[in-house]
Amino acid sequence: MISDGMADVLRSLRHGDGGVLAAACARALQVDGVAVSLLVGAGRDAEPEPLWHSPGIAADFEELQFTLGTGPTLDAAHSGTAVVVPDLAAVRADRWPGLPAEALGLGVAGAYCFPLGLGAIRLGVLTAVTGRADDTVPEQRYADALALAAALTGLLLEHDGGGDGPAVSGSVTGVPRELHRAVVHQATGMVSVQLDVSLADALLRLRAFAYARDLPLGDVAEDVVAGRLRFNDDRDGPPELGGRKG
Amino acid sequence: MIREQRLAEIFMEVADSLTDDFDVLDLLQRLSTRCVELLDVSAAGILLADAVGELQMVAASDEHTRLLELFALQHDQGPCVECYRSGTARTNIDLNSRGATASWPRFAARARETGYVATHAIPLRLRDRNIGALNLFQKTPHLLGESEIALAKALAGVATITILQQRTLEQSHIEKTQLQTALNSRILVEQVKGILCERWGTSPDEAFSAFRGYARSHHLRLADFAAAIIDGTFDTATIPQPLPRS
Repeated sequence: MISDGMADVLRSLRHGDGGVLAAACARALQVDGVAVSLLVGAGRDAEPEPLWHSPGIAADFEELQFTLGTGPTLDAAHSGTAVVVPDLAAVRADRWPGLPAEALGLGVAGAYCFPLGLGAIRLGVLTAVTGRADDTVPEQRYADALALAAALTGLLLEHDGGGDGPAVSGSVTGVPRELHRAVVHQATGMVSVQLDVSLADALLRLRAFAYARDLPLGDVAEDVVAGRLRFNDDRDGPPELGGRKG
Repeated sequence: MIREQRLAEIFMEVADSLTDDFDVLDLLQRLSTRCVELLDVSAAGILLADAVGELQMVAASDEHTRLLELFALQHDQGPCVECYRSGTARTNIDLNSRGATASWPRFAARARETGYVATHAIPLRLRDRNIGALNLFQKTPHLLGESEIALAKALAGVATITILQQRTLEQSHIEKTQLQTALNSRILVEQVKGILCERWGTSPDEAFSAFRGYARSHHLRLADFAAAIIDGTFDTATIPQPLPRS
């Protein structure tokens, strides 16, 4: 179960400044720093860039990885699976050459990195760092970090288009409900072919279309999968990115 | 007995599949089809709890959209939710009984519309931990007897082991990572279904069959294969294409 502290953080996630949020996340996870980076670029060339972070060692640790071109944040970004290193000093020397010693120099002894994304859509990475190494992964921290990663994924999907984004009826604590339906992912794949855009852009177009017409995303996705709605059809084409105006 | 023989074969099939690099999605999908075959039910699906404790479908005996939708409905209601929360099986639920379905009327109505008259939910449990549920549906109203329920529980146990095979004590985070990865792989497969059915002009079902057939005959893991198609490193013209729908 999610801790009360993390539940509070998740409730406040939609409001507030990144640095303040990161500090609150760090407190709830009982770690010494939290950073979120976004993947910029397409496909395999995408690289993480810092979005927000708590003051201090989290940002330094990300910077170090970007400089060395290796590390758990980058691995999580490229593999799409969590990379959890409670004790950096215990890591095989050839895994991230040069990183553990430099990290310890910055005061980082452990790192927990979680990919943010949906299927093949990779949005970014959540990284939490500790100043003291742990023998094992604290269970509560892991459960809280996973929930935070799910909530951040939901948030990033919403805000991808800028502005206030398409409305979603979601649980506060996770990825919006509509995004659990197979038909939405299928429609995302179809629209990405119809428009020759990335899956992330295709999902955004679907959501903008639904938002502009005040339709549930699932209904729009059903229409796409049934072939009743095509996004490359001029007559019934989609609205501009961002959907509703004014 | 024919069935016992078949069961032994299935256990062998699973044991043979549990190599270092086995494909969890494909194995769970095979297990779902085996449930249908052995228990003489109409459909089976495996649902896993995600980071915030909501159930998501990870494999199904067939990929018909209406069946997938029934699983999707159970992120917050339905027999699997109860089964997952309580850790106890609910079997031989009459979908036409108002009493038996009182706590999830929407799910029951959708299941009846799809043609099902009975459903069963078996927990996926490892020691004291619940990780999800096996869901069975019947179109004909015969009751499953004690030996069939025991068999269903054994198959649920095999599914659990399959998912958590790398788990050791003190490593609950690895278990959570594996669950998360399996769920995300499932989304990726839905996205690739959309891409393929749009390219080929087929239904998502037909696209999936062709996709899975190619993956199996070339020993590719479904999620890896899907990722290669999505990032363009695999040319889908190589896959024998299903006939377009009329």
